[in-house]
Amino acid sequence: MTIKKRWIVIFLFPGILLFSFVYLASIVNVFGTSFTTWRITQAISFNGVGNYFTLFVSDKFQKALGNSLIWIILQSTVHVAIGIVFALITSRKKWYSTFSKTVFMLPNILSSAALGMLFYNVFNPMYGPVNKIIQFFGNKNFNVNWYANADTAFFAVTMTWLPFAAIIAILAAAELAAISDDIFEAAVIDGASEFQINWRIKLPLLKNAIGTGTILAATSMLQKMDILIMTSNGGPGNQTMNLPLLIYLTAMQDNNFGLANACGVILILIGLASIGIINKIYRMNETV
Amino acid sequence: MKTKKSPASLLLIPAGIFLVLIILISIGPFLWVLLSSVKTNREILTFSFRFTNGVHWQNYVNAFKIAPIVRYFQNSVFITIMGVLLNLTVMSMAAYVLSRFSFRLRNFIRAFFAMGLLIPGAALLLPLYTSIKAVGLYNNVWGLIVVYTAFGIPVSVFIMSSYFLTIPKEMEESAYIDGAGFLKTFAIIILPLARPAFATAGIMQFLLCWNEFQFALTLTTGHDARTLPVALYYFKSAFASDYGAMFAAIVLVSLPSIIVYSLLQKQVVSGLAAGSVKG
Repeated sequence: MTIKKRWIVIFLFPGILLFSFVYLASIVNVFGTSFTTWRITQAISFNGVGNYFTLFVSDKFQKALGNSLIWIILQSTVHVAIGIVFALITSRKKWYSTFSKTVFMLPNILSSAALGMLFYNVFNPMYGPVNKIIQFFGNKNFNVNWYANADTAFFAVTMTWLPFAAIIAILAAAELAAISDDIFEAAVIDGASEFQINWRIKLPLLKNAIGTGTILAATSMLQKMDILIMTSNGGPGNQTMNLPLLIYLTAMQDNNFGLANACGVILILIGLASIGIINKIYRMNETV
Repeated sequence: MKTKKSPASLLLIPAGIFLVLIILISIGPFLWVLLSSVKTNREILTFSFRFTNGVHWQNYVNAFKIAPIVRYFQNSVFITIMGVLLNLTVMSMAAYVLSRFSFRLRNFIRAFFAMGLLIPGAALLLPLYTSIKAVGLYNNVWGLIVVYTAFGIPVSVFIMSSYFLTIPKEMEESAYIDGAGFLKTFAIIILPLARPAFATAGIMQFLLCWNEFQFALTLTTGHDARTLPVALYYFKSAFASDYGAMFAAIVLVSLPSIIVYSLLQKQVVSGLAAGSVKG
């Protein structure tokens, strides 16, 4: 082995070791044990697709799967649209652009545990500003316990992430900055209105940013667990249950490890499927 | 040339409303918490903007009394420093080799690291819990350090490789001609040049280590190795009646992230953009 080759191996080794321990071993573990009965008290034993069957007939899982899919769709559409509109508005360098961008980032910078706690208090029925503001503007007797009420919990949870699309806006802004100003100047000379420029020129050129942003937005819904733990904890009932929280509860409370890992496999597969579908929709990797 | 003004102003009103709403919901909740963190319990419950009893710093003192925040703070600081240092060291080495030398497994190893972006963290929760327990790092700050260092790999390797590619190869060649070895060239020529990449990757890693909650909750128990975000969990469950102290705790957890972000905004933005575009 030449000296250079030895250094290449030495430089790569720690990274590969760490990655293998945390990712590779875990993935093998998740897939392998998802076909077993494995509880904290019992010896591990093979049971085929038994866990998957148990999952699909359980109400809790169906609700978690349904919610996760609804949240993926909402995030891929409404959330992305908010980010793109924000980027288009702030792309004209006005006095408020930098300020708005900085402020919009704030919820994305905080620990999601802190963000969840923040919203838990904002929606608090006793002292939270949401109820107080509604009471102030008319309905004096308005009193809703947002995260505990079956009709409002889903909405209140969704509001903790749906509007905060700063990362989508950053991606779009980077793409907008790369477009030559000549195109817009030409459009203005041809008499195009502001709306036409945004709709007909900027939006089509943003296709790749929108595609990447949609993938990020969709897959972020497969991670959300900390905000749920801090706010509704999946309830009331299973109203706001999602797959990550179901994995956590199945593993850490029920100690049903095989079942939790079967749920993990489904989570990974949904992630891969979402990425594949969104890639297809936006035909990414093709030039505009 | 006369520009037509009317169609533009038609859009101005909805755009303005949109922007104001976004700003309000982005910063409003945090400002309210900040304000409430220096109010008494009674003031919080009446939702007034007046401070009848002056600024009530006592909440912060209480926050430290209710939960072992000092301990959590120390853990957070240690885990974050080690997580950032380890990740930058290990990944600058790997990224350098991956972006500079061609060898048989290069593309495979690149794809291997990028695979991390495809796996939702929650799916790793239980397997990491079992493997961290198996190697004796459960409830140990080093367990979290190892996990966070690895979680940052896909983003760090991408940010650093793309930066190394912009450094001209002539820099190293002249160093080799002058008789410097592989390690010396890397340490003396490349590392100082790559400072911007270290800043960007370092901040992304800082935010990851400082903010992470679910693994901090799962891989630890008791107080020995837990980090600040988990402290909030205590306030929510066990001590929910001292609202002022709870608000103070939220501020204490959030402030470091906000400070780092406002000081290094440019790096955060480019890091987020780079990290999300993937390899």
